[in-house]
Amino acid sequence: MAKRVLVVDDAIFMRNMIKDIFASGGFEVVGEAANGLEAVEKFKELKPDLTTMDIVMPFKSGIEATREIIKADSSAVVIMCSALGQESLVMEAIEAGASDFIVKPFRAEDVLAVVKKVLGEA
Amino acid sequence: MRHVIFRVEKERYGLPLSAVREVVVPPERYTRVPRAPAAITGVMNLRGRVVTVVELRQLLHLPEGPTPLCRVVLLDRGRRDLGLLVTDVDGIEAVERVSAAPGKVMPAVRGVARLGGLGVTVLDPEGLDAAVVALFTPSK
Amino acid sequence: MTMDMSRYLGLFISEATEHLEALGRDLVALEREATADTVDSMFRHAHSVKGMASSMGFEAIAMLAHRVEDLVDAVRQDRKLLDRDLVDLLLSAADTLMAQVRAVAASREPEAAAPLLEQLSVRVRALTGHAPAVTRVAQVTLRKPGDPPAEEDPDPAAPAAVTPGTPDVAVGSTALAVMPPASLMPPRDLSAPETLYGAPGARPRTDVPAEAELLSSVATLGANLKVLANVDADGPPSAPRWSVRLRISPTCQVPGVRAFLVHKRLSTLGTLVDLRPPLEELKAGRIPDGFIQVELDTAVGEAGIQTALRNVAEVEVVSVSQAVPEPPILAITSQTADSARASADASSRTVRVRTELLDYFLDTVGELMLATARLREVGKVLPEVSRPALEEGVYRLHTLVKDLHDKVMSARMTPLSLITDRLPRAARDLARRKEREVELVITGAEIELDRAILDELADPLLHLLRNCIDHGLEAPEERLAAKKSVRGRVLVTVRRARDRVIIDIEDDGRGMDPAKLKASALKRGLITEEAAARMADRDAFLLSCLPGVSTAKDITDISGRGVGMDAVKRVVESVGGTLEIESERGRGTCFTLRLPLTVAVVHLLLVQVGEEVFGLPIAKVVGATEADPDALSRSRETALLPHGNGLLPVHLLEVLLGVPASPRPGFRPFVVMEGDAGTGKVALAVDRLLGQEEVVLKPLSRPLDLLPGLSGVTILGSGRPVFILDVPRLLTA
Repeated sequence: MAKRVLVVDDAIFMRNMIKDIFASGGFEVVGEAANGLEAVEKFKELKPDLTTMDIVMPFKSGIEATREIIKADSSAVVIMCSALGQESLVMEAIEAGASDFIVKPFRAEDVLAVVKKVLGEA
Repeated sequence: MRHVIFRVEKERYGLPLSAVREVVVPPERYTRVPRAPAAITGVMNLRGRVVTVVELRQLLHLPEGPTPLCRVVLLDRGRRDLGLLVTDVDGIEAVERVSAAPGKVMPAVRGVARLGGLGVTVLDPEGLDAAVVALFTPSK
Repeated sequence: MTMDMSRYLGLFISEATEHLEALGRDLVALEREATADTVDSMFRHAHSVKGMASSMGFEAIAMLAHRVEDLVDAVRQDRKLLDRDLVDLLLSAADTLMAQVRAVAASREPEAAAPLLEQLSVRVRALTGHAPAVTRVAQVTLRKPGDPPAEEDPDPAAPAAVTPGTPDVAVGSTALAVMPPASLMPPRDLSAPETLYGAPGARPRTDVPAEAELLSSVATLGANLKVLANVDADGPPSAPRWSVRLRISPTCQVPGVRAFLVHKRLSTLGTLVDLRPPLEELKAGRIPDGFIQVELDTAVGEAGIQTALRNVAEVEVVSVSQAVPEPPILAITSQTADSARASADASSRTVRVRTELLDYFLDTVGELMLATARLREVGKVLPEVSRPALEEGVYRLHTLVKDLHDKVMSARMTPLSLITDRLPRAARDLARRKEREVELVITGAEIELDRAILDELADPLLHLLRNCIDHGLEAPEERLAAKKSVRGRVLVTVRRARDRVIIDIEDDGRGMDPAKLKASALKRGLITEEAAARMADRDAFLLSCLPGVSTAKDITDISGRGVGMDAVKRVVESVGGTLEIESERGRGTCFTLRLPLTVAVVHLLLVQVGEEVFGLPIAKVVGATEADPDALSRSRETALLPHGNGLLPVHLLEVLLGVPASPRPGFRPFVVMEGDAGTGKVALAVDRLLGQEEVVLKPLSRPLDLLPGLSGVTILGSGRPVFILDVPRLLTA
């Protein structure tokens, strides 16, 4: 059964790219959110197997959203999408409960490798 | 080797038992296959499988006859669902000593044998398959 | 594997433009009042543009956006830094970015704005006290329509170098690492401490009292030295000490964060008593050769430690060993058996299912769908009053069955690596035997296909590989003479294109000679002289798939005597795929397999012509209308149907399909269908529209798949087989 993914990023561009990457890896993208507020709502509604989370977003940051998601479900798997230079933010996200991270600009196989590893599929 | 013996008009034909999955009664109506060669009678639904039915008479370039075609011999060809429409099926017989068929060589025909004093044309499953495919391939 | 980014170009342009416009608005608003919200918003816009541009590989844009981001970030820390000059500078940066994006939109290279970048850098340095960071940009292929497929960029994961131990084959692949099958794993030793994972205290205490005492004193000592982790209050004081050695992958871009993640994972297991390098060094990414050494008091045992780290990417567990508290022993031993045991735990969450059982599931689900459709048919003749209840039940059944179908389909999906894994070995053996040097590169093997299709493909793939090595690649001296590298190259590339999986098997060998293939086929009476003369090269290459046709000079026991290619073509087509061959003399040959992903569910519009029923994919139906064909205007032979603002060519379906029909004169229904690039929209005249239906598409088996214009077949609820039409192909073939 394809793993269900929620993609959170404020840029449609990034969401589409991430969605395509997941589709190519046999995952099912069940939802997307453009900000932290929406991310938490969608997470509660969809209960995805995996959430990819941008850090810098309007309304509520990815770190705050991750914290709330982990509070709602301590077993939630959240993967941060970060850029170089955001190391301290990613560490903050890890403290908040993020499972892993990927670094933009990313390659499809790197993303899938991290995700499969986190989900215990590799 | 045991063969399924069937007829087209009065002529007797045989196919190795191992090449035949089953023998069924033709459906009341077929679904026509658009743009198919004339020898393709149509397709039928056999327990959820779509079987292409070929009139053996036309495949072997035999003259038209008056007797209705009463049986479909289903070939066991892996994923392919191919049925041969024939006049009737006689039964299963052991056929030994197949010799070359006289006249023009056809890939569908392996040779001839004698069975109970009468001649049987032994067909070649692969050759039949190739002959059907050839119908669909523009002549080269 | 490089992503083709060109499809994101349109989105990049529109979204980057939006962000830059918003950035400009924010800057103007900033001059009036510098609120924290505005600065945050500016930061996000710059950050987004940087991310997108770097993903697209537009370095000039990414760098400029990065500088803007840096500068805004500085302002974010202290808004008092903001002055008129800074706003001017940022505005001109926003304008330049906009111009760069417009250049991209006009297919021009965005110009690097060196002076502006320098100005920004100076400000960044002045405000933050350090130099701006380097901007990283993706290596990207931007493929324009019509361009030949770009060369793959050199992939560090696909080494071109020769692997020791396999002297003549270098294998590069992205996802061929698979877990050993459970049956190959050593049996679990139930007496080993790791099986006590999760059961603290189950370990006999008698053998550790002295150790426990020692431990607590060391822990206190550790607290003074460097207490690196939260002390697990529940952890029994007798928790044994483990020494864990790890290595962060050298390819990791941010080793500091990676190390931090590892540290966090291990901290949750118990008490970290030693960490080398220390945490601050780790976080800063200062990790010599990526090695991390941890001393950990934990009751979870080795299995628990392995479990905690198993799901962390880019980290390799070098060793886990039970440590004697003092003096610490850094045991570096091979842990293959133990890590295999650890992975056995992971595999226990999945079960193996026999393929036949999966086949049975699929067949049964298909029949359930048919039965549901049949029920719905039956319901239509029931009296009005009793219908709603049945319809509701049927609807519910339909939903459940469809969901079940999806699940069964996904359970059948299997990565291609299942069959490509054996290719490297085969390539090596073949190369040895032929005394050739071969480099085999497999990419995309993680892509999944329906198991049934995969099973069929194993032999054809192997045969094609053989063909490449045996017939395609030249002998070393011949390659040298042709100024090629001695080592031949075979690429096996798997990719997804919509609902198809495409496999290319490509060699850089001598290529095929269409003239020779034609001559060979002629000699065997397989084609006529006339056909040979007319035949395009592309078709001539496919002659190699006819039994007996082969142009190989030397007939060896490896590829046989031209037997095999016909089998390859047959198998590929029997699973609903196609085989194409491209070849260039002296350059090589490429076999392309286009395969369906799976057996699919489609929405159909059912139409009737004469006595026959056909399905048209709803996805391709634009609309339906009624008209009198005799009253339509004509252009030459073709009747034209007014549609929207234009006229569409009309085709009578009975004529198109060669179905006997005698339509009554007067009005008849027309279905307007989407065409393809070649045909455009068309109107099909039918006798009746029968309604919509959701069906399981069955691939056409031989010989039906040879007919152009049919895309599949299905069985309706009534039990009637119905063909699904591929209208563009019907029109062109």
